[in-house]
Amino acid sequence: MISSRSNHFQRGILPRLLVVFLLAFPGSGQAEDDYSFDLEEFEKKTFAWGGYAELKWDHLDLNQDAAFYRLNFYREPRASLDRLSSILQLDGNFNKDKIAFNWRLQATARQDEIAWDDSADVFEAFASYKPTPLATIDLGKKVFKWGKGYAWNPVGFIDRPKDPNNPEEALEGFIGVGLDLIKSYGGSLQTIALTTVALPVWQGVNEDFGESDNVNLAAKLYLLYRDIDIDLVGFIGNSRSSRYGADFSTNLAVNFEIHGEVAHLPAQKTKVLSPSGGLSIREEAETSYLLGIRYLTVNDLTTIVEFYHNDDGYSEAEMDRFFQLVVDADGQYLATGSDALYQQAQLVSLSGYGKPQSGRNYLYLKTTKKEPFDILYLTPGVTAIVNLDDNSYTISPEAVYSGFENWELRLRGSVINGGYFTENGEKQNSSKLEFRVRYFF
Amino acid sequence: MRLSKRFFNQNKILALLLLAVFCTTTPVMALDGNEILKQVDKNLQPESYEMYRKLINIEPDGSKKEFVLYSVKKGQEKMVALFLSPASEKGRSTLRLGENMWLYIPAVGKPIRITSLQSVVGGVFNNSDILRLDYGAEYDVAGVTEEGAKYVLDLKAKTTAIAYDRLKMSVEKKTMVPTTIECYAASGMLIKTLYYKKNKDFGGGLVRPSVLETDSPLYKGYKSVMVYAKINKKKLADEVFSLNYLPRVDELR
Repeated sequence: MISSRSNHFQRGILPRLLVVFLLAFPGSGQAEDDYSFDLEEFEKKTFAWGGYAELKWDHLDLNQDAAFYRLNFYREPRASLDRLSSILQLDGNFNKDKIAFNWRLQATARQDEIAWDDSADVFEAFASYKPTPLATIDLGKKVFKWGKGYAWNPVGFIDRPKDPNNPEEALEGFIGVGLDLIKSYGGSLQTIALTTVALPVWQGVNEDFGESDNVNLAAKLYLLYRDIDIDLVGFIGNSRSSRYGADFSTNLAVNFEIHGEVAHLPAQKTKVLSPSGGLSIREEAETSYLLGIRYLTVNDLTTIVEFYHNDDGYSEAEMDRFFQLVVDADGQYLATGSDALYQQAQLVSLSGYGKPQSGRNYLYLKTTKKEPFDILYLTPGVTAIVNLDDNSYTISPEAVYSGFENWELRLRGSVINGGYFTENGEKQNSSKLEFRVRYFF
Repeated sequence: MRLSKRFFNQNKILALLLLAVFCTTTPVMALDGNEILKQVDKNLQPESYEMYRKLINIEPDGSKKEFVLYSVKKGQEKMVALFLSPASEKGRSTLRLGENMWLYIPAVGKPIRITSLQSVVGGVFNNSDILRLDYGAEYDVAGVTEEGAKYVLDLKAKTTAIAYDRLKMSVEKKTMVPTTIECYAASGMLIKTLYYKKNKDFGGGLVRPSVLETDSPLYKGYKSVMVYAKINKKKLADEVFSLNYLPRVDELR
């Protein structure tokens, strides 16, 4: 009987208990299976592609006393503006033996309360020939991204300027031919690499780079010497003035990185607004530089601080002259209905005064906290950009969440503030709220 | 007489106790700790190889996030890892040369320096866990004891640039691979524990754990797992381990 009961127990209750246990603690049984993975899915393919789709909503509170608000809205004054925009970015490559073809395409569409705007651009499209790991020859449109600075790159001689509010976004490249050579050593000099680029400016080719009908040359010599990244860079050509520079980056401690850049332009020409109201050329030797640190605390708080001196920027007096032109334009428009001065101010704005961070001395601060309160994949942070000459600033708190596979959500606010005739006090917006959703594929 | 017998008995007990202690926790005089560590490194990874891994971050509610990496390593100080999945991370690569680490994000287009304490994947694994060099390249053996079927190595970081100041590594005598590694900060605080599991024959004479789990008192309830799928010996040029090569790492596959 006992034996029979025992068998009954083993045959009946034990399996049931086991089933109940497995149902109650599914993780304990599944974990073993989850540790396997199928490598076939990740076999290398000749053709690969990916990218992301983005949807973004912006709400802008407009600063109705500011110069750039007046310039952009003098015909249709309003207090705020809502905008919905989308981006589709397609990246891909085709690899066959020693030949590769890479591309990055981006299409954008934007609808606000005033107008619809769309564009489609080839950011990169270039072919590469790689005879050995030591050498690469590139032909086509490519982004170079020279420099060690996070928010600005004075030595980015053949790059488009990045947006310090979104410095990690993809940029459009320029068409050229490049040769890349690498050599590694075992001593204090661990790596040496030379990148040379020939960048033509012809009709229909790199027209926005500079003066046409020229072939420009740029080169970067990279050294990893005693754990310090060092770049020596140079650019010669007639499309832009010749320029030379250097940058470095190293870790002073396991959680403390320091970087810097310096660029010298012996004869740089800049369009400035003359006291008479016209545009004139200012030609002078300029030296711009950047010094920055990146520091990580034991609590996973990462802080980036950069000081940037932009010798090519406008002085306070030059900026004042531009703001006064807009005030005069507004007075003329209200008094006579003529927007002649507004038209002139718009031309001056396009010549450089309307660029972001058009002043001379800036401080950049970005602090992010990884996964606070044990919330995985959440990164809140705050970014501040201060114009040190007029003490105007933007402060942008944000939160990024990437916990859903292949999705990224970002909520960001910005306060743009400054006094009368200061860079940020005369910006179009006084504040901004932005919600962005990205899906990667 | 009674006293001397009692004294004799006491000495006998003491001797037996000492013998017992000696047998259970013996400083390994005959074995060189550095030799054990060298053997561990040799058994964990070949001198020059390629490897496929899956990283799984598991949250307290059971939800998971997975990453698949292709890595190559050469010598004691050179390693590159390329993200193959998920799509949001695909194409990112990280390079380690000794104590220097960089992250390359294709859209950003240039490598930036990162530190061993950060984590490019979130979760409990940090960059030094993902870009793991030979233990012998980063640690000196401060002490070694024998505990039953295991050696226990007390490892001290060679420099302050190493992510963990001390490691307590338990090594299975039979296989000479680690079973657990406790990672401590300089303050003595336990940062995390690594558990090597499931020995597997990867071919070419390489038999080593195929699963590495970790948990941390700093991330209560969270767990991260690294699953090794393929480890092959591979000849690699030194130039593969350079910033200029980072956009090309996928060509090595």
